[in-house]
Amino acid sequence: MTIFEGMASGFFQSTSLAVFPYLFAGSIFGLMIGVIPGLSGHFAMAMAVTFLYTMEPAAGIAFILAAHATVAQGGGLTAILFSTPGTGQNAATLLDGPPMRDKGEAGIAVGAAMASCFLGATFGAIVLALLIPVLREVVLFFGPPEVFVLAFLALTFVAVLGKEDMTRSLIAALLGMLLAMVGVDNVTNTFRFTMGSERLADGLQLVPVILGLFAVAEMIDLWVRGGTLAKDVPTALSAKETQKQIFKGIGLAFKNWWLVMRCSAIGTGMGLIPGLGSAPAAFVAYGHAKQSSPDRDTFGKGNVKGVIGPEAANDAVEGGALASTLAFGIPGSSSMAILLSGLFILGLETGPRMLNQNVDIVFVMIFTIIFGNLLGTIIGMFLVNPLSRATSIRASVMVPVLLSVIATGAFAGERAIFDIGIAIVFGILGYAMKVLNYSRAALLIGFVLGFAVEKNLYLALLLDGPLFIMQPIPLGLMTVTIVFLGWNIYTIYRDRKRVIPK
Amino acid sequence: MRRTFFKSATAAVVAITTLGFGTTVAAQDAAEFYKDNVIKWIVPYDPGGGYDEYSRIIIPYFEKYSGARVDIVNLPGSGGMKGAVEIFNSPADGLTVGIINGSAMVTNQLAEIEGATYKVGDYNYLGRMVADKRVMVASKISGITSFEDLMNNGTTEIVGATGLGGSTYVDAVITGEVLAIDQRVVHGFDRSGDIRTAMLRGDVQTMWGSLGSALSGIEDGDLKIILHGEKVATGMLEGIPSIYDIAMTMDDGEKRVKILESWEALSAVGRPVAAPPGIPEERLAFVREAFAQAMNDPEFVASSLESDRELSFATGEDMSRIAKSATELEPDVTELFVKAIRGEI
Repeated sequence: MTIFEGMASGFFQSTSLAVFPYLFAGSIFGLMIGVIPGLSGHFAMAMAVTFLYTMEPAAGIAFILAAHATVAQGGGLTAILFSTPGTGQNAATLLDGPPMRDKGEAGIAVGAAMASCFLGATFGAIVLALLIPVLREVVLFFGPPEVFVLAFLALTFVAVLGKEDMTRSLIAALLGMLLAMVGVDNVTNTFRFTMGSERLADGLQLVPVILGLFAVAEMIDLWVRGGTLAKDVPTALSAKETQKQIFKGIGLAFKNWWLVMRCSAIGTGMGLIPGLGSAPAAFVAYGHAKQSSPDRDTFGKGNVKGVIGPEAANDAVEGGALASTLAFGIPGSSSMAILLSGLFILGLETGPRMLNQNVDIVFVMIFTIIFGNLLGTIIGMFLVNPLSRATSIRASVMVPVLLSVIATGAFAGERAIFDIGIAIVFGILGYAMKVLNYSRAALLIGFVLGFAVEKNLYLALLLDGPLFIMQPIPLGLMTVTIVFLGWNIYTIYRDRKRVIPK
Repeated sequence: MRRTFFKSATAAVVAITTLGFGTTVAAQDAAEFYKDNVIKWIVPYDPGGGYDEYSRIIIPYFEKYSGARVDIVNLPGSGGMKGAVEIFNSPADGLTVGIINGSAMVTNQLAEIEGATYKVGDYNYLGRMVADKRVMVASKISGITSFEDLMNNGTTEIVGATGLGGSTYVDAVITGEVLAIDQRVVHGFDRSGDIRTAMLRGDVQTMWGSLGSALSGIEDGDLKIILHGEKVATGMLEGIPSIYDIAMTMDDGEKRVKILESWEALSAVGRPVAAPPGIPEERLAFVREAFAQAMNDPEFVASSLESDRELSFATGEDMSRIAKSATELEPDVTELFVKAIRGEI
């Protein structure tokens, strides 16, 4: 089967009556999982995979992959409306999404986020399709030295995120890395910072940490402050006004197509690298959007570009993340591991045999990602109106309701009461950080990348010795990192000098 | 108010009746007990993994022969230890069972890893679903085509492994020690898939793993089996040297073989289905029988064969013996294993 035959067959299969209903069901399922804080794509897949035993291959793939693909969209919706990221990859959306809501532009933010998700996912899927002939070479490009340096490069974006106060951001990022060390070290079997707790031996789970840092902290803030979630909007927007805003938002995403393309490229690229995950991709895209904007002062205060960038990237990741799974049958993330076993259940082979013999299935996946996100965008638009009304409900009603939803989300992942405790502890920490003006995003990115940095540094040192950094690719990337960091430090001092004379 | 009172009164009556039944239940026929009752089946890993898959394919047949409804509960954590501990400590009423990673649980117990509060020898086993065949594979780009090649090419090969105490690690260290292989074990990979990527990149030359997980890499032509841990080779292992044959040709062959036999006993524990200690005997006998029937159901066997899923059934009684012998190794062998698990070799 040639690639073009595969493409045609994949297209007709995914739009056929035998498959499309499953795709539709999957995207609604994923959207719902995304809207519920704490339930991630990993969770959606794990639930969906149990349905596969009785399904046909194409229908099964459309179902699980559509469920996975739309999770980020649902998560973006709650991140903007309730300051509660549905999943880790939406954490970056919190930087500009909620401020837009406070300005009464919730509809614009959501419209832009949804459209960017769709565009990003489409971009990622097309890149994956284009890479099929050279997929194996591309994936093998990244070994431990390369991943270590790339993770480090992503960490330096922290400096940009909190440019107003780089010292505080660095403190937060390093604290995040420190928190990533909690648990049994995989290499030496040493118990680190577990304080005798067996629960902590598995390390801190990402979901309760994110829920605590952002959602619980936001609830504490709302409780202390009183009023409604949308700060300066006394009454809910009318349905008509919301609808108008959504279309304006969608228009803005298309208007900023060049930004969408660049951020999607960042997302796809980071998705290709095994083990980095989608949360850092969204933050790096945010950093890039801010860095490259002439109006960077308004970032963090409700700039729509701060929503478009991360939302485009976190859906573009999917295309990249699928690459190593398909090329070798080696999963790059826990979600992909579940997908892989799903494929196994459906009786499909991965690796070169799939690329050669079942290329139509690869295209079913590609079209599922595209159609799934399109459906997610359309369905999401209908969800905005009822959900956005909730943002005008007063705090004394809203806080208990949202807190119980958050607690459920924290519990659901591992079915552990302990994780609710983690969410509360991090909620207090997050609130303190918010009040004291430390970047929570920096802490999160340090936490997420901490694993990747440590593991790959260890492996790189063992495999290539301390001079691994002198290999051409790591050296090149390290130079970029240092130049990037240096440039930022320089501009900070330059700006400071400019400000002082006034 | 009155309604609430009636409700609680009814609840109390129901509760008392149930409790009453509880005491007489032991005398009841076990089949009667399980009929339409709910058995909780713990899987100590995430959905989608091998343990989850094996559980999901056997459960319909186990339901058929036990008459009970079986609910899967995924309980990942501590490399499968959390679920194993949960099974061990659950009520001994015969309504909680689960699949466990037998070999890893034995090694954790031997090395007294924190949190290993179960005793592998004390579980009540329903039986074993499968025991992995262990194989050593070399990547195609390493240029190593046979074990002889590996031993005689004059270079130190790098063997990839996951965490300390993981089976890829223990296998590599023990066999390396017994066969005096010139190798360096690099551990710290997250999962065996990561090791395979490293092999494809050329960072790592060889690894140990189960035949099942190596299969796709072999069919793709990326990997080649150069050594296996079976005494008698069958199927695709035929013609590939067995680790026992190699050990016998060396000095002190018998001593080496003795260590290898203990190593094999570890993998023989495989993936058993276990229940907590102390279950009433007639119930245990009943579920053991139901499990044996399920494992030997012609339809089940045929579907497993068709989808390349290996099975190696052992009865509950045999499984208890296997588990006991795996934990009761000779002192010097135990010491070697504990050292290997703790990364002291």
